[in-house]
Amino acid sequence: MGKVINGLDVESLKSLIEEAKKNQEFVQKINKWYARVRWAGSGFTFNSYVRNHSFTISEPSELGGPDKGPNAVEYVISALGACYSTGFILNATKRGISIKNLEVAIEGEIDNILVFLGLSNEGHPGYRKIIAKAYVEADCDEKLVKEIWEETVRTSPVGNTLARNVEIVPQISLIK
Amino acid sequence: MDKIFPVTVVGSWPRPKWLLDALRRKREGKISDEEFQAIADEAVLIAIKYQEDAGVDIISDGEQRRDNFYSFVADKIEGVELKTVAEFIDFAEDKAAFEELLRKLDVPAFSIRTPIVTNFIKKKTPIALNEAKFLKEHTNKKIKVALPGPYLLTRSSWIKGISDKYYKRKEDLAEEFSKILREEIKLLRDNGVDFVQLDEPVLMEVLYGPELSVQTFMCAALTAKENPRDELRFALDILNKTVEGISGVRLGVHICRGNWSKSEDAQLKGDYYPLLPFLLDMKVNQYVLEFATKRAGSIDVFKDYPTEKEIGLGVVNPKTDEVEKPEDIINFVEKALNYFKPERIFLNPDCGFGTFAESPVNTPKVSFLKLKSISKAASILREKYH
Ligand SMILES: [Zn+2]
Repeated sequence: MGKVINGLDVESLKSLIEEAKKNQEFVQKINKWYARVRWAGSGFTFNSYVRNHSFTISEPSELGGPDKGPNAVEYVISALGACYSTGFILNATKRGISIKNLEVAIEGEIDNILVFLGLSNEGHPGYRKIIAKAYVEADCDEKLVKEIWEETVRTSPVGNTLARNVEIVPQISLIK
Repeated sequence: MDKIFPVTVVGSWPRPKWLLDALRRKREGKISDEEFQAIADEAVLIAIKYQEDAGVDIISDGEQRRDNFYSFVADKIEGVELKTVAEFIDFAEDKAAFEELLRKLDVPAFSIRTPIVTNFIKKKTPIALNEAKFLKEHTNKKIKVALPGPYLLTRSSWIKGISDKYYKRKEDLAEEFSKILREEIKLLRDNGVDFVQLDEPVLMEVLYGPELSVQTFMCAALTAKENPRDELRFALDILNKTVEGISGVRLGVHICRGNWSKSEDAQLKGDYYPLLPFLLDMKVNQYVLEFATKRAGSIDVFKDYPTEKEIGLGVVNPKTDEVEKPEDIINFVEKALNYFKPERIFLNPDCGFGTFAESPVNTPKVSFLKLKSISKAASILREKYH
């Protein structure tokens, strides 16, 4: 094992990136992702199955749910925070910078939630604006931290998903 | 006989940069407590000199050895640990309250350190005896020592999900803090301390915090579930239990609306009126209150609540750069004379000048001039009302 920074083996991280350069099959594998969300059978509770993991999505009591977990829009902003954090650690580690603490605080504002409730046709029920603020503790200068952050934001898969128009292909089947 | 209109301070003095460095090095374990105390001794001497030169009659040690007015107890009491929110959030029951607070304060969880009860508590060493002894040795003035009040300590350190494993209810923990503080007050008295002040700033947070979206981690565990009247009753009972029957030392309670930044808007606002029924039942000699800041409202609140107690009248605002004029101080004191006899009025700033080590609200220079202005006003008042 080589040098470990931020709990990551820098050499294996670099060889992983090298691998992506030449191994077409590997790239295909990490280029596509799957999830299956199942209604739990009662009320606003759903379970998402992802590889060998599962997690619960629910609604808070003020929205008529049992509050068994975060709701879907909270997962969206959490996913953004997690994506930025992943990218930040990756990019810092590539540069050999160790990070003591990293936290991303996210706040998302829905354009008009009344559309979701069927009470309005004004605007849309999606996020209008998302603020993501990262706090970093590290022994390095601010310029470098900003540079890593910019690269992270620019190359973030979730960030790009949210900032661009994604083609969503909804389909439905009735099973009898 | 003691002079009337004695000038005193609320406690803290801005710390020199080299002391802040030493404080940091101590926290990181790079210097021993002994090494730190030797450095702090020098800073205390400077704080003493400033106060003496400004004509302060009852001086403090400037709280130079503390990181702030309450966290320092973590070093003195077993079972109380200084932890970052990041370290304990996974165990806290009301995670949402902490998250909300972090967002309001615009800080990450890893940067906020707060003392929390993580075991049964037990006094390790006296809380402020070392401070008092050193101060006493180096001044001929009367001396004042501030201690965090029992309600503040309980409120800030009892966190559901963590502390309730040891103290099922915060009231049970309060009893223990109260015993420790009671013992400490007597110890300070027996070692020549003239004035012990209990700091209870969170009382204002109980009243004015929720409406204002200004909260601190001192009150992190306070949720909307609690009724302010019940909280104030609880605070009053535990304070009285702490001080009841102790004689031979002047006992004061200091209540303010926050002193964590220079910004007036970032602090709580609201007058003492709703607090007065509780305040008047406190078995202390003196209320040390803010009045220089407009946020504290009018002193006329005492019209409906006459009292024979003393008042430590806040006559300068530690947060502003402008030095209050002695004439203005005199005018205000004369207003207070409608409700308090001259021998019951003490003059002091609204709060300390360096409540939090890392973010003092003023420079030593301006702080000094403000104190000087108070003593000038006091000597004119003494002439007039002796
Ligand atoms: Zn204060």
